[in-house]
Order: sequence, then structure tokens, then C-alpha cells
Amino acid sequence: MWPNVAWRLFWRELKRGELWVIAFALCLAVFTVVSLSGITESVRSALAQRSANFIAADKILRSSLPFNEAIFEKAATLQVKSAKQMQFSTMVFAGDEMQLVSVKAVSASYPLRGKLTLRQHEAVDAPIVPTFSQGEVFLEPRLLQLLQIKAGDMIEVGVSQLKVAGVIAEEPDAPLSVFGNAPRLLMHVDDVAATEVVQPGSRIGYRYQFAGSDALLTQLETEVKSLLTLHDRWQKLDRESAVGSALDRAEKFLLLAGLLGIVLAACAAAVAASQYSQRHAMSVAVIKALGVTTATARKIYASHLSLVTLLSVSIGLALGQFASSSAQWAIVNWLGDYQAEFSSRPLWLGLLTAVICAGLFSARPIWRLAAVPALNVLRQRQQEWQFDIWHLATGAVAVWLLMWLFSGDLWLSAWLFLLCVAFAALLLGMAAVIVKVAKPMSAGQSSALRLALANLRRRLWPNSFQLITFSLALFLTLLLYFLRAELIGQWQQQVPVGAANQFLVNITEAEKPQISALLTKNQLTAGNYYPMISGRVLSVNNETLTEPDAENSDKAESENRDTANRDTAERKKGEQQADQTGTAANAETAERRRGIGRELNLTWLSQMPANNEVVKGQWFVDGGKAEVSVEVELAERLDLAIGDTIGFSVGGQQFSAKVSSFRKVDWNSLQPNFFMILSPDLMATFPATYLTAFYLPPAQQPLLNQLARQFPTVSVLSVDNILKQINDIIAQVSLALTVILALVFAAAVLVLVAQVQATLEQRQQELAILRTLGAKTVFLRRAVLAEFAALGLMAGVFATVLAEILLAVLQVRLFELPFSLHWNLWWIGPGLGMLLITGLGYLLLRKLLIVDAPTLLRRALQ
Amino acid sequence: MSFTPEIYIQAKALTKQVQLTDSTLTILQHIDLTINRGDSVAIVGASGSGKSTLLGILAGLDTATSGEVYLAGQPLHALDDDARAELRARQVGFVFQSFLLLPSLSALENVTLPAELAGIKNATQRGRELLALVGLTERADFYPSQMSGGEQQRVAIARAFITKPAILFADEPSANLDETTGAKIEDLLFELNAQQGTTLVLVTHNPALAKRCAKQATMQAGHLTMAVAEVTSVA
Ligand SMILES: Nc1ncnc2c1ncn2[C@@H]1O[C@H](COP(=O)(O)OP(=O)(O)O)[C@@H](O)[C@H]1O
Ligand SMILES: [Mg+2]
Repeated sequence: MWPNVAWRLFWRELKRGELWVIAFALCLAVFTVVSLSGITESVRSALAQRSANFIAADKILRSSLPFNEAIFEKAATLQVKSAKQMQFSTMVFAGDEMQLVSVKAVSASYPLRGKLTLRQHEAVDAPIVPTFSQGEVFLEPRLLQLLQIKAGDMIEVGVSQLKVAGVIAEEPDAPLSVFGNAPRLLMHVDDVAATEVVQPGSRIGYRYQFAGSDALLTQLETEVKSLLTLHDRWQKLDRESAVGSALDRAEKFLLLAGLLGIVLAACAAAVAASQYSQRHAMSVAVIKALGVTTATARKIYASHLSLVTLLSVSIGLALGQFASSSAQWAIVNWLGDYQAEFSSRPLWLGLLTAVICAGLFSARPIWRLAAVPALNVLRQRQQEWQFDIWHLATGAVAVWLLMWLFSGDLWLSAWLFLLCVAFAALLLGMAAVIVKVAKPMSAGQSSALRLALANLRRRLWPNSFQLITFSLALFLTLLLYFLRAELIGQWQQQVPVGAANQFLVNITEAEKPQISALLTKNQLTAGNYYPMISGRVLSVNNETLTEPDAENSDKAESENRDTANRDTAERKKGEQQADQTGTAANAETAERRRGIGRELNLTWLSQMPANNEVVKGQWFVDGGKAEVSVEVELAERLDLAIGDTIGFSVGGQQFSAKVSSFRKVDWNSLQPNFFMILSPDLMATFPATYLTAFYLPPAQQPLLNQLARQFPTVSVLSVDNILKQINDIIAQVSLALTVILALVFAAAVLVLVAQVQATLEQRQQELAILRTLGAKTVFLRRAVLAEFAALGLMAGVFATVLAEILLAVLQVRLFELPFSLHWNLWWIGPGLGMLLITGLGYLLLRKLLIVDAPTLLRRALQ
Repeated sequence: MSFTPEIYIQAKALTKQVQLTDSTLTILQHIDLTINRGDSVAIVGASGSGKSTLLGILAGLDTATSGEVYLAGQPLHALDDDARAELRARQVGFVFQSFLLLPSLSALENVTLPAELAGIKNATQRGRELLALVGLTERADFYPSQMSGGEQQRVAIARAFITKPAILFADEPSANLDETTGAKIEDLLFELNAQQGTTLVLVTHNPALAKRCAKQATMQAGHLTMAVAEVTSVA
């Protein structure tokens, strides 16, 4: 009965490799989805954990009110790790010296994420201090110079005497900005009360830091909701900093790669299923002629499909899970402190993919297969496979659903999907045109080429689906390849190799040549010397701005909070400022809003810094005349217009300048940046100090000690750690992108293989006929190669055009990168298409080409 | 020694038309045909004259546009696809011009396939016997791609007889073979036919082959004419 026959046929076909292509395609679809979403998820969580290092915690609750112990108790019951942190500015004293410092007071569990390195003294190779205890403080190295003390001395913080136990060498949540911060002092949170620095009205930032799994943190967030006041808010992960945006783009890339992987896998399944149907059309006609009803034929082939699906889905799931586990293992190995979490989402996504691919892409062709009329056994020609619009339509909708499910992004999936559909339609149209045009063209060519063109033309229309899949596979590969290069390039540009990692501040005019000489002697180059002077903004358009007072501070805090919740640009500033200088910055923001700058670093330049951009007005013409260029966001806060007059006070002297331009400043660039740049004529008479930056290779670290000894008044600010962290992340993300690109490329190649194999049967017949007609092997090989080369070239060109268009759109819309043309694409695309498709075609057809004519004929006539 | 033969196939006023894009093509025109049990009938005619179309309708693979066909007393014109399939499974064997073996099954499996589909027991045993009869004992485990055209057609003949069909339809069984092999295949076909007492309807454009049948009918532009009157004896 039919189950026996079905079972026997199944095993025989499996053994003969008949079912392999379809099994492989399904397996590939499942594998792609499982591995890509698994890897994406691992990379995403690794990156999230990595960026957690930048805030020394997974989640932070910020408050302007003293710690509520109930919140920490809740965390403890949930087994969420927690740490306390207070931030404030205060004066510290050491002998006759005093200095404004930015204090970070932390509990013993700090940092929950990332690494804090404390050293016994400022030498770069000084012994590491493993723990710090109450009564001790650690200082930023430049503070030792400013206070004229050394490690081991005592300093006064408020009314307490605390011992300087060493210096801060590496701080996970160090501010990313180098300027405008008071130097950092680290102390124990339990010492704060004794200092009596905290008084009613003092501006203190309280931070509750937490670390734990996402689920626990979410639970914590809901459970403490009732304990929170207006003064508490959860800090969002910083998405706007250099690192944040790099991660953001990487995530988008991974998502996109996953989506494209789904499209490719679905294509492979569709190709394989229709190929299978075509190959089996005659077998179905035969068994139906032998008396099998359509329903039974359907059962036989449906059982095959179910068995194949079952088999390939299991293998696909296993392999996919293996790939993503390996990736996770690699990530763990590499990041060390990364905790991998198992997620079932990739698995059920994979299952769903299989169901959709098998159901929509395979079930329908097989349903139609069973409907092949028995009468076909009497027809000499095989029935032409008809274009099945329903199959295409339902399949397309299914792919889109899958994309949506995978990405959770309606807009992106719909958009990408429509693009692929438009692309397919375009190609079909082009194929139609080429069929028409290629006819007269083929006359007068060499005979191998003519045969190739004739073959191509004959197959182009019925098999333009093949061209579409070729092009689609190439297009997706090219797209990812170039996006990846683009992203990596952008990141590297942000932090170029050899970017300045040391800043020297407070250089006198006389020290300038000496410092240059010292650097030159050590084969280092100093950058520009920027003049710098402290000043205040006194008035805008002659309207004097008042000093703030303590009573306003709460209002300032809440205003800052509002600001932080507004649009991204605003949040960026709010977050960044708050992150960098803690409460002092909050206050500063508020002060600035009412127009009073605290001490502001002013500079004067005739040339605009390279990474700045004038957004309104005009940069100084001929060096400018009593003019000022204002950073655009500051200008908005001050409610300035071009042409306004700002009154400044520098060293007791007052003068005014006309606002002539607004500048956009890249705060992520780790370059010297200024809010206000004055025209040189205004400042020429003031005594200024200078700022410069240079790159110091790790091997030459001891030079810093020499600099500190030789120029005691010059402060050295090192951004080496920040740069290293950023570079680390970029390297990791780049590797992840490369792995995923390789995966998508493999998927694309498999689609190509499935597609070429789909035409093997037909080619076999043709070759048999040509052989019988006396065509030589060399001739046949040339004709086949020429045909594949032409096909590959065509697919490559289509893919290139489309990739260029989509790259432009993605660059601008999704990744917010500047638009650029990709000249390389124009030869890589067609070249890759030609090489890949010719190579694959030849590899797959090689066997057919060397088989002798009688054998070919026999096979062809089966 | 004449007797009233049992009518096995009867076609009355068969017409087959196909609708083309802007015209109607008439392939068969008003064909009447009677075939008795045990008869061997050759249908000859030029290529494209409608022989295969007629065979398809008589075998229940296709339906006529108008007219009636009775096969083993069953009105094919009144049966649906499934009922005709069941009738074929029980009564009909086929030999095709291009062999049409299932490429993934061995010779023996191809032979036993119809029997298994019909649920007949001991199919393998009978399959081996039939393979022996067509001289392919050695080739039982070969796949179609490993056999010559003549061998494949012998397997196809063995397959045609496995269900002990009452009637065998053969559509140009030797057209794809060289002359010698073709002749051997024809001999085999007639030999088995005689041995099994099967009714034979053979389509060919080869007049020599047609002569070996008891009756000949000629297709010409959709019309059928019986060339030779009743022969006296039937094997
Ligand atoms: N479904 C169909 N549509 C159009 N033309 C058909 C169809 N079936 C058969 N024909 C045409 O009818 C004629 C007879 O076909 P056929 O019965 O196969 O001839 P024969 O077997 O005698 O060579 C041929 O010209 C064939 O092209
Ligand atoms: Mg015919």
C-alpha cells in the first residue's frame, strides 16, 4: 500500500541525493535563523555587558535625595548586587594649597562592572592597591601636583583628615570628556558624613548602582516603583557617546544581516522545492498512470516533505545551536567577564522558519506536483512549469512575517521587504527586455558564444527566477560587505590609530618650545598649541545675568531632569554633562540656562578646528573683529541669535564680542573642544596658557614621569584607558560583523548551488543532444563557461546597482553616516558575480562535461 | 470455429477537441471502435495524427470532449479521475515510448511498484519471475541510469504485467530504440501478451510492427479506419 511505497521511495531518494537539495535548503534556513539570531543575541548581550562596564553597573538609579535603604534591601532580597555612589564638588586643602575637586564616594562593592585600578603612587608601574578602606582617598595624578603633595600625605576634606593612599590609574566609569572637569577624588562613602561637607541644600548626586540579570533588574524596577520620588530616575544606557553609537550601529547591522539571511534562506527553500517538483513531475504522472489517485500521490509526497522537514529541521536546529554556542563560547573566552545566558528565542524562531519555509515554499509546489495529470506519460515533452502567482504571493508575505518577527521592527522589515520585491519585479522586467534584445545580438559571434547566448536567452525567461536569486544573493552579500567596511571605517576614523592619548594643559608661553623639544627628542610630535584662558559670561545684549543661589538648586535639578527626558539631542547633553561632572555639572547646566557661566575655558583661533562645523552664520573673516563663535547647543540654551553681543570678564577686565557663528562640535572626538572661540584680536593682550595633545606609545609611558618632573605646573591628562576601551569594543564588534558576513555569504553560495543544480537535468539533456551532434568537450566547456559568466556578470551588475542604492539609503537613514559612493563596489560586484557563478557552475557541471555521449544520452532519455 | 467475442473496449462517437487561444483544434473526430477481450489491435498513423490522444482516452488517462467509452464494462466517460485511476490499477498495464521508470527505484522495485500500490501480496516473488521472463535476472538491483534503453524497456514490460492486467496499452514501445533492440522488445511484448492472454492495444507508426497484430486501425487527421477485417482466430 502507499505508506510502504512512500517509505521506500523516501529512503531511495534520500540515498540517491534526490531530497538533499530540499533538505539542505530547509536545514540552511533553520540554521541561518538559529545561528544568526543566537549570535546576534550573544553579541548584543556581550556588548550590553561591555557597555555596562562604562557605567560600572548594569543599571543606575539617580537621585538628588539621600539613599533610601529600603531600595537596597529590595535589591538584596532579589539577589541583585548593588553599590552606592555619591558625587559632589568640594574644596580640599593640603597645607597652603587648595583645589576644587570632583568627589566620587563609593561603597566597598564598587565597581559592580568593569575594572578599577588603584596604584600606590603616580608612576605608571607603581604597585597596585588591591582594596581601599575607610579613611583613605585616591586622587587623579594631576591633583597631586596641583596640591603639591605626594602619596601618603594627609589632606583635608571638609572637617576630616584623610590619607592619600594612592592614585586612580583606571576607573571604569571615568568621564569620556577631558576638559572642564575638576580633578577626581575617590573616597569611601561611609567617610562622607564625617566630613560634614553634606549640608542641607548641598548639591549631591546619589547613585544606586545595580548588577544582575535582565529579568531580575526588570523585576527590581517594578518592585521599587512605589519607593521612588520625583527626585529619582533610572539612567538610560548612554547611547550617544562614541561607544554607545558604535554599539547601536553594530546592533542594527546584526539585525539587518539576520533579516537578509532569512530572505536568502527562504529563496533557497523556494528554489529547492520548485526544483524538486520539476524533477518529480514525470514520476508522479507515472504512478498516477499506474492507478494512484491524486489524493494518494499527495499523501506520498506530503509524507516525504514531512520526513525531510523533520530531518533537516532537527539538523538545522542542532547545528544552529552549536554555532551560536560556539560563538558564545568564543565571546566568553574573549571578554573574560562576560556571562553567557541561554535563550530559547533563536530555537523557536528557527522552528517557525522551518514551518513557514516548508509550509509555504514547499507544500504548495508539492501540492501542485500531485496534481500533475497522468496523461503526461503520453506526452513527449515535459510540461512547462507554470508561474504560480499564489505561491509567490503567499511565500512573500510569509518571508515578511518572518522578518518582522525576527527584527521586531515593522518599519525596517516592511521597507527591506518591499525593496526586495521591487528588485525582483525590476529584474523580471529586465529579463524580458534582454530576451528581446539578445536575439539579433547573438548573430556573428563565435559559435561557443552564440550557443551560450542562445541557451541563456532560451532559459532566461522561464528561469529568470534563477537570475533573481543569483542577483539577490550577490546583492545581499555586497550590501553587508560594504556596510561592514563602512561601519568599521567610521569607528576607526572616530578613534584613529595614533590618536592623541595624552593632553598637556597649563603650558606657559615659555614652556612651549621646551615641551616641543622634549617630545621631538623622543620621536614624538606635539599637536597644535591651543591658547586657553578662564573667563565668565557676564551679559547678553547688555542684560546682566544674576548669580544663582542655593535655593534654586532643587529647581535646577528637576529642570535638568525635564531636559534629559526631551529629545535625543537634549538628552545627550543632559546625560553627558551629568555623567561627566556629577552634581556640579547639573548645577552648571542650570546655571548656564540662566546665562551665568561658571569659569569657562575660552580660546581664540583664526582657523576653525577641523572637527567643527559652522551651522549658522560665518566663521571669522580675516581673523574676525571682536567676534565670538558659540557652540550651537550652548547658543540655544542662552537663547542667542547671530549678531547678539556677549559681555565677558577675564581676569577682572571686561569686553564684549559679537556672535558671528554657531558651531557644531563633535563631543565624541576626544579632541580639544571649546564652547566659545573668540576672534584673536580680542584676546591678544591677555596672558594665556596653552593646551596641546600628542600620541604616546605604550612603551614610552615613563616619559610621563619625566614630563611631570621637568614641568611641574603642566598637568598631564591621559585618555589612554578611554581609547583602549573604545578600541577594544570596536575590534570585538568588527570581528562579530565579519563572522556574520561570512555566514550570510555562505548562505548566498548555497542558494547559488541550489539554483545551478536545479537546471542540471535540463542541461544534461542539452549536452546529450549537442554531444550526439558531435560537439567537442572543449567547445561545450567554453559554451557553458560563457553562459555562466554572462549570467554572473548580469547578476553582478544588477546586484551592484541595487546595493549602491540601498547602501546610500541605509547609510543616511539607519546608520546616520554621511553619504558616499562606493567605487570599489562597481568592479567587485560584477567581478564577484562572474567569478563566483562561473566557478560554481563549472564545478557542478564538470562531471557532465566529461561524461561520454552514450551515457549522457541514456541518462537524458530516462 | 467462430464464436461471439466478449467486447472489452467500446468507444462510441468519440470526439476530442482542445481549446487554443483563438481557435478550437479537433484532434479526434467521431471515432467508433470496438476491441474484444484477447484482441491485439495496432493503431497506426503519421506522427501528430492523434494516436496517443486516442490511446489516452481509451486507457482512461484522458477524457473525450464528447462520446462514450466503456472499458471492462465501466463507462469511463462517466467516472471521475479517482474512479478511473482505480480502474487502471486493476485492469490496465502500460508500456511507454520513453520507458518512464522511476529513477530512484531499482529494476525489481520498478517492476513491483504497481503491485505494491495495488496492495498485492508476494509482489517481489512475481517481480523476480517477470524479470526472469524478460531476461534481466542479473539486473534486478540495477537502477535505470545503469541500464541501456533496451533493458529499461524490458523492465517496463515486466512492470506492465505484474498486476496481471486484462489489457495492455503500448505507445510506440520501440520508437526510442535501435532497430535490433526494438525488434527484440517487440518479440518480448507479443510473447508475454500471448502467454498472459492480455488484450493489447499498440500504437505505432511502424507498419511492420502493426502487421503482427490481429487487427490494424489507421489514424488519419483525427479519423479512424479499420484496415483489416476480423481475423479468424485469436490466441
Ligand atoms: N492538450 C493539447 N493541446 C494542444 N494540442 C494538442 C494537445 N494534445 C494533443 N495535441 C495535438 O494533437 C495532435 C495529435 O497529438 P498525438 O495524439 O500526440 O499524436 P500522435 O501520438 O499520433 O503523434 C498533435 O498535433 C498535438 O500537437
Ligand atoms: Mg504519440
